[in-house]
Amino acid sequence: MNLRTQVAQFLALAYVFSGAYMTWKTLGVVANTHSPIVVVLTGSMEPAFQRGDVLFLWNRQKSNSVGDVVVYETSTKDIPIVHRVVREHHNQDKQYLLTKGDNNAVDDLSLYGRKKSYLTQSDLVGTVKGYLPKVGYVTILLTENQYFRFGVFGLMALSALLQSE
Amino acid sequence: MFNLVTRAQAISNHAITCTAIIAALVIVSSFFQLQLDQVWSLNTTSISNVQAGASLKGSFQYGAKNGKQKENSIIKFDLDADLTPLFNWNTKQVFVYLTAEYPGKSDGSSNKVTYWDKIITSKDDAVLSLKNHRAKYSVWDVENSFRQRDAELKLEWNIQPHVGPLIFGQTSATTPFTFAEVKTKKDRA
Repeated sequence: MNLRTQVAQFLALAYVFSGAYMTWKTLGVVANTHSPIVVVLTGSMEPAFQRGDVLFLWNRQKSNSVGDVVVYETSTKDIPIVHRVVREHHNQDKQYLLTKGDNNAVDDLSLYGRKKSYLTQSDLVGTVKGYLPKVGYVTILLTENQYFRFGVFGLMALSALLQSE
Repeated sequence: MFNLVTRAQAISNHAITCTAIIAALVIVSSFFQLQLDQVWSLNTTSISNVQAGASLKGSFQYGAKNGKQKENSIIKFDLDADLTPLFNWNTKQVFVYLTAEYPGKSDGSSNKVTYWDKIITSKDDAVLSLKNHRAKYSVWDVENSFRQRDAELKLEWNIQPHVGPLIFGQTSATTPFTFAEVKTKKDRA
């Protein structure tokens, strides 16, 4: 065990993390959104999207059509919401959208917050274009299950120890 | 060199590569199947017997604001559609929705609203036959009133895949109707 190999190992690890971060940011620039990939957290779009499914977003659209699945953020909830556009009203320079979860009984009017009855393009994080099942469940486990989190960290530490032999 | 960690890494790398290739094959092949089934020109749909009604609602859930009543539209309709071609090995669900498109008051403005929708998860449920069916949603507009305006009904669909891109389309049937006049107490008496 010498210093040189340890530094090399640290560099390799840093390379992996920076690579992942750069890919994420590049996707964000290409798709024009601050989070190009989102993990579904609630069941309001079941059975289409379940908890842990991964969605790929695109946010360069000028307008949305009815039927599009969009991700938006509001002041009333701190997590992004994935719901479907059920109404759109537009003129030359503005578009109003009303959304609803496929699995919900009523539309999202009560989610928008006080004095807001429609979404506009600036509320959107993006439009859902692609879908990957279940893969995102790892991130849900990491953030919500401390046993899993410590297990993963323990395993990483153990493998680091084993590798240096 | 060949310790447990490197072996595990090799296996997981191989598994990820194989899964990605299989997923790509599934996406491409199902897209060709949809092309073969000509799903973008489904002409087995008919929307008929549209009866429009209108009323004034005072609740927040019906678009009313500041205690002012809002005009709401509801319809009844007949619908026949065969959506079985939309189902193949990469179809998780089909979301089918009945939309009405109509112009706004000002130039260049347009509106599209959903009256009815349905989640279909199995090919066995993909043949729709509704008679005198009541719309699922009561519809209001951004403007205060949209009575007597002409609208066009259309049946549209969205395929949610097991993996891959979301696919959208519409059936070829379009049915015109006119938004109803609001019935006042005087009319009823």
